Amino acid sequence: MLKMENVSKIYRTELVETHALRKVDLHIKRGEFVSVTGPSGSGKTTFLNLAGALETFEEGDYFLDGQNVKGLSDDKLSEIRNQKIGFIFQSFNLLPDLPIFDNVDVPLRYRGMSAKERKERIEHALETVGLASRMKHLPTQLSGGQQQRVAIARAIAGDPLFLLADEPTGNLDSLMAQQVMELLEDINSKGTTIIMVTHDDQLARRAHRNIQIFDGQVSDIERAVADDVVRSA
Amino acid sequence: MFSYNLHLAIKSLKDKPSLTFLTVLAIALGLGLYTTVATMSYQGSQVPLAHKSKNIFLVQMDSREITADPVEHQARLVDTTYKDTINLMAMNLSGVKQTFNWSTYGILNVEDENITPLRTTAAVTSSNFFTMFEPPFLYGNGWDKKVEDSGEAVIVISKLMNDKLFGGENSVGKTVRINTHVLKVIGVLDTWNLTRKFYDRSYRSASPDNFFIPYTFAMENNLPRRAGFDCWAANADIARSFRNENLDRLMNSECAWVTFWAEIPDEQIENYNQQLVNYIDSQKSLGRFPRETLTFLTNLNDQLLFINGRNQFIKVFSMLATLFFAVCILNAVSILLAKFMRRTKEVSLRRALGAKKKTIIAQHVIEVMIIGIIGGVVGIVISYFGLQGMMNIQIYASDYTTRLEDIEPLFQLNLVMIGKAFATGTVCTLIASIYPIWRICNVPPASQLKAQ
Repeated sequence: MLKMENVSKIYRTELVETHALRKVDLHIKRGEFVSVTGPSGSGKTTFLNLAGALETFEEGDYFLDGQNVKGLSDDKLSEIRNQKIGFIFQSFNLLPDLPIFDNVDVPLRYRGMSAKERKERIEHALETVGLASRMKHLPTQLSGGQQQRVAIARAIAGDPLFLLADEPTGNLDSLMAQQVMELLEDINSKGTTIIMVTHDDQLARRAHRNIQIFDGQVSDIERAVADDVVRSA
Repeated sequence: MFSYNLHLAIKSLKDKPSLTFLTVLAIALGLGLYTTVATMSYQGSQVPLAHKSKNIFLVQMDSREITADPVEHQARLVDTTYKDTINLMAMNLSGVKQTFNWSTYGILNVEDENITPLRTTAAVTSSNFFTMFEPPFLYGNGWDKKVEDSGEAVIVISKLMNDKLFGGENSVGKTVRINTHVLKVIGVLDTWNLTRKFYDRSYRSASPDNFFIPYTFAMENNLPRRAGFDCWAANADIARSFRNENLDRLMNSECAWVTFWAEIPDEQIENYNQQLVNYIDSQKSLGRFPRETLTFLTNLNDQLLFINGRNQFIKVFSMLATLFFAVCILNAVSILLAKFMRRTKEVSLRRALGAKKKTIIAQHVIEVMIIGIIGGVVGIVISYFGLQGMMNIQIYASDYTTRLEDIEPLFQLNLVMIGKAFATGTVCTLIASIYPIWRICNVPPASQLKAQ
């Protein structure tokens, strides 16, 4: 479903070239729950941006649901983000002056759905995350965990191919983090692929697969192997 | 999508009302002043009798003596002598109408003793004046050639005077007295909006005359002449006396003082000019027209073009208003930039969630259009008060000798100017927003999404 072949990303300034990702080869199958770990500055965010079609890259090929996204126009990339990817951010990134319902509505609006279909999807997504009763609340009236659940509802409302979660529990206390993680696992169990960047090794271990990024290079570790590594550390 | 973008645009305008207010104010102030000046310039440049102005000609012939200075421009050349006026009127060319006029003055009163006698001026002219210059009649008509030839004591009065002297009722058949002469009213003009009083070559933004008298009556009764007499040296010493005396001498003199007009169809213009040249040639044998033959046929369009070109006040003011508008637009650019860049995080998020660049552009263009339209409306209101202010300044500057109703048309917004103001406001606001919109729509979708 998501396949990267020799993908490299280089940030260039007049003086410096920074290799953020080097020749990444990766294949993520439908329904997988993949964690991405690595030290700060290793290239995790760049990987996530490329995977989410938020940035372009110079070398290699990236096939998303069979379609090579390399060289696609800005409009086409927007369409892919809108229809195939759900984003979950560490800082939730909800629009503070919009009610929960309208926040979840944002990506659906850009998909050109009818009002009826949008309403159904929003209600269903909010029910899934357990916030159906808070539709008219503003984000500031919710706790951090609840806000992240709204962000998850926004991400799944469009029924995307996969979710990209960037430190989804990074701003939450352990209890809330646990709830969010359980929610993500629940969503994954229903067939949605999840790629989650995290610093938390415990959370990383709960994924099917762990990908480590170090200095822009990706090492793909199967869950069993990852468990061994953690155990021996 | 439009309704969603409209909703977002309105929400954005409400979210930061102070920035919205400042943007609207900047545009409205600039547009208000610009429209004020543009309206004055537009109204001032309106050519009277627009439907036939290219065929209404001021006729001039250089009848001056040999020692006179060369003429650099038609506007500097003298008017027509009385004997040339009468000779030209006898010229008969198919489709051509001619008239002429000068000004007289006197004390006017009516039988009603409650009406205070008033000192006034009057236009002395020929019957063709009414057919050529088409003043609208409320009651009666102008005089015809027969009445003119008989020297009958008739008069045409303005609506203003009819209201003042006769309470607005049909005064045709009633009489007025100018000095010692009793004249019968044969016509009352309706409101005659001439953008410029062209027929006396003053081109002032004043109302036309209030009284019109046949030239035959004026000459037979030696009504005083309010004119500048451009005479040959032989008559220079008594030129001033021609105002009241020495009528016979004036009629045969080489003093130019009559403004002569012709309405000439396109196909006759060349022929008419040739007739003028022939006339001058025939007069040369009588010792007249000693200078090289020089004639001018200047239509109303060209006259107004020249007069407006000389209006330095409106030129300088237009330049300042345009400059001020440009400064206001630059201010609007800064405010819009600040306003838009405050929401980079939101735009970045919307882009990440699937908004295309053109959707972001559309959202901001709608917002800017709303600002432009509001700015346009407020600008028009400001320009209305600006025009009222400028009109009062002009009245004050003339020591209140200028009447409000005379200059009011020059300071009036019309649909054309309102339309132009709207278009200018909207287009300039859109232009002002190009850079801010370009900046905001190019915010990379990934740039603002990391935890702060």
